[in-house]
Amino acid sequence: MDADSDVALDILITNVVCVFRTRCHLNLRKIALEGANVIYKRDVGKVLMKLRKPRITATIWSSGKVICTGATSEEEAKFGARRLARTLQKLGFQVIFTDFKVVNVLAVCNMPFEIRLPEFTKSNRPHASYEPELHPAVCYRIKPLRATLQIFSTGSITVTGPNVKAVASAVEQIYPFVFESRKEIL
Amino acid sequence: MSGQKKCPDCGSSEIVEDAHYAQNQLVCADCGFILTEGLLTTTFQDEEHLQEVTYSRSTGQNEQLSRCKLRGIKRVQDLCKVLYLPAVFEDTALSYFQRAIEHPSFHLVSLEKKEILVGCCVFVTCRQHNWPLTMGTICSLLYAEKELFASVYLCVLKELELDVPALSLTDLVKTHLNSFKLFQSSASVPAKFAEDKEKMVARTIQIVELASETWLVTGRHPVPIVTAAAYLAWQSLQPAGRLTCTFPRFCKLAGTDLPPPAHLRLKELNDVLLRMASQLAWLRVLNVDKKTVVKHIGDLLQHRHFLLRSSFSSGDTEDQSATAAGDGSESSPQAAGGSAQAEGRHPGGKQKCSSVRRPLLPPCLINPRKRLRTAALSPSDQAITGDEAISDSEIEQYLRSQEEMREFSKAQAWH
Repeated sequence: MDADSDVALDILITNVVCVFRTRCHLNLRKIALEGANVIYKRDVGKVLMKLRKPRITATIWSSGKVICTGATSEEEAKFGARRLARTLQKLGFQVIFTDFKVVNVLAVCNMPFEIRLPEFTKSNRPHASYEPELHPAVCYRIKPLRATLQIFSTGSITVTGPNVKAVASAVEQIYPFVFESRKEIL
Repeated sequence: MSGQKKCPDCGSSEIVEDAHYAQNQLVCADCGFILTEGLLTTTFQDEEHLQEVTYSRSTGQNEQLSRCKLRGIKRVQDLCKVLYLPAVFEDTALSYFQRAIEHPSFHLVSLEKKEILVGCCVFVTCRQHNWPLTMGTICSLLYAEKELFASVYLCVLKELELDVPALSLTDLVKTHLNSFKLFQSSASVPAKFAEDKEKMVARTIQIVELASETWLVTGRHPVPIVTAAAYLAWQSLQPAGRLTCTFPRFCKLAGTDLPPPAHLRLKELNDVLLRMASQLAWLRVLNVDKKTVVKHIGDLLQHRHFLLRSSFSSGDTEDQSATAAGDGSESSPQAAGGSAQAEGRHPGGKQKCSSVRRPLLPPCLINPRKRLRTAALSPSDQAITGDEAISDSEIEQYLRSQEEMREFSKAQAWH
């Protein structure tokens, strides 16, 4: 297998986290009373609301800030966020859907080979950090993309980054390094 | 004083030696004339015999640094003394500590974290000089939790931008075995259990190298592997009397704890040794199983390079060796150079022997973890843009009706 050959690696996005603001104060008690599928956490001052169709969990604060997690793509995250804003509108609040931003994307990718972690760490010194006593994977940070990759010896790689494009380019960047330290199983 | 001195002024011979503010003088007792004065400052010769007081032990340091820093510095020094570290380590650790404590991210942390910071600086110093110190040791010395230590350690590495090389297993073996109490017979250790240190260390190192070549070490905690390897080495040096001794009993004799993953590592090591033994002709005949393989560890380790090579390329050896009996003896997983050789050796033999003898694989491939994969997005889902219109009926499902609200408030009223 040549590193330059076209290998189609499927990157599976498992989670997309986004935030938006409603620009108005929200009465959490009212939401907890009149909304279905809500959990009111009075001690920390937030309401958890779960949507069904895009499977999303939203954390709502009384200041009007909302964080949505659980989507599997950026578009789905926006889809769910807008539905949530509409629900809050129906409950009677003067909601304006603003400042929508995708904050974090988590993806998983599988390499078709095993990886020698000590060798990989040695050849990628400042970016890679490997502490077998703490965690079985190597933590590799790509500063310009603000992405973090966790590389396991089985070949599975977990990537987190600010958006889907950053995640895809992080995987592209790491592939040649990981390919160098692979183990051939015949 | 040789010869009687006379006062030049009054002529009396009553000369006394007096100390005026620590300055020795020869004074005439009658008129008070000073004959000679001592020197206020010491000469170079005098200073040769002075005892040097280090800055840290003088009071000068106390005045310049805050109490927190002073305490931390003392703790670093104490820790280095307890671990018998060379003086160079202490200086390096002190410099790291002083840099770290100045850093804003360590200003308002709890006292517990400041203690752990001390341990982190010592730990980093040891790792940089390739001194085998494990986090477990430091945590037990500091009475700290491992998770907190881990977070402070990673923070220190990031803030001070330090580079820490990997832990060397060979050194760790030597240090860890030093703490075992098996090397002379005592009240708790019968004579047949006592073992020579050099032999045991050498054999344990060989077994640990074996483990690292067969993917038992990557990503795993190092101490259980060393413990399991030590147990196997100890048993194999005198199998006659020691086969009946169990792993927990061995650890109690040696005076160390038995870490939970060590049982799994022992099992994996046994599997690997069984595979190796299957390659040796005279062991195949003996029908070795996991209990008796210990007796043959010496032989296996001696021929480990060859045995590992052949076990990683087990397909070929079946074709080539006529006596390919699938006894299941353990092949030595010493296939470090196995992959290179294996390529040339067996073009397609793997499929043939897959039922009898599969090639030596890392444990993660033998027991693959079942992954929960979410279903792929349907075409309609993939066409989501995020800006579609929202119908009222869709939103109604998330709102309670009037009766539901009444029921809910009634239920709440009972709280």
